[in-house]
Amino acid sequence: MRDPRLAPFRLPALAFAAFLLVQAGSAAALFALKLGGSPAGVSAFYLGDVERFTAPKSLPGLLEVAVPHLAAIPIVLFAVAHVVIFARALPARVARGLATLSFGAALAGIAVSFGVRYLGPALAPVKVAAFGLLEVTLLAWAALLAAVFLPARAEATARARPEAAVGAVRSDGRVAGRVHRKERGRRAEEVAK
Amino acid sequence: MRWLVQPAAGARARPPVALFLVFAGLALAGLAVQRLQAGGLSAAGVEAFYRGAEGGEPLSAAALWEEVHVGAFVYGFVLFMLSALAAVAPRLDGVRGALVLTALAATLADLFAPFAVSARPGLGALRVATSVLASAAMWALLAAVAVSQLRAWRDARA
Repeated sequence: MRDPRLAPFRLPALAFAAFLLVQAGSAAALFALKLGGSPAGVSAFYLGDVERFTAPKSLPGLLEVAVPHLAAIPIVLFAVAHVVIFARALPARVARGLATLSFGAALAGIAVSFGVRYLGPALAPVKVAAFGLLEVTLLAWAALLAAVFLPARAEATARARPEAAVGAVRSDGRVAGRVHRKERGRRAEEVAK
Repeated sequence: MRWLVQPAAGARARPPVALFLVFAGLALAGLAVQRLQAGGLSAAGVEAFYRGAEGGEPLSAAALWEEVHVGAFVYGFVLFMLSALAAVAPRLDGVRGALVLTALAATLADLFAPFAVSARPGLGALRVATSVLASAAMWALLAAVAVSQLRAWRDARA
């Protein structure tokens, strides 16, 4: 763990990561069961299917799914991104990119549901792509939480050889391991002071 | 989390934390009422709800996953917040880990128990047990956090 102040939050963060995986897994199961998991299935779900006697989705039906997701997904993404960024698990630019990608995929997934229904089935592949991207980013956030908060090999190294641990400032003033350039500079300055 | 790791900010955070605890209690109460609607505390009622009563249709796989999906958000977020608050409560040192781990295991078991009830007859009692255990574990965690917040508030005023 990079910051000892995070140690008390190990259990909460890992529990949150477990529930993120459950959410991603159940979303994938629902996408496969209800929307068929393919562009053709997505079109049939939103535009109706004569063979299955299903009607096109109504506006209240679309909103019933969209509104809770517009609140729930950003809250979950905000919480997980906040923890991962606070723990400095990623360089700032990469963390910003992953957050943008997650929020973008979530918004696109919700918006394209309306697009398929009212603009046409050509947008169905976008729905599949946006859902897939959101799933990948959720898995990435869960993995990052685990990487930050699981008792890692890095900690064992830190205990055995404090100088070799990632982020440790070595006797020659250099910072060990793959630490972001700005972070390396900051830690070296702290030691110099 | 930033203010959670800065004990000095604890006093300023107390009002929103207290309000959050009220809403968390309401969410848990709402979940308990939903459980009562879905078969209640009787094994036969739970089986009838998931497997269909007297030749009725059993719940579809999509409906079961939908329950997991919604439950994972409610349980997951409330547990995350409560356990993060428990992590900075100094008086919970001896019991914090046990409270959080029990709540985590019980809620996960509660989310997936309906699949067992649907798959095999005679497992309605399992869902009753997981519901009671998950609810009790979450309420215990909430109560522990609330008492610890109350004591901190009293100490600050003294």
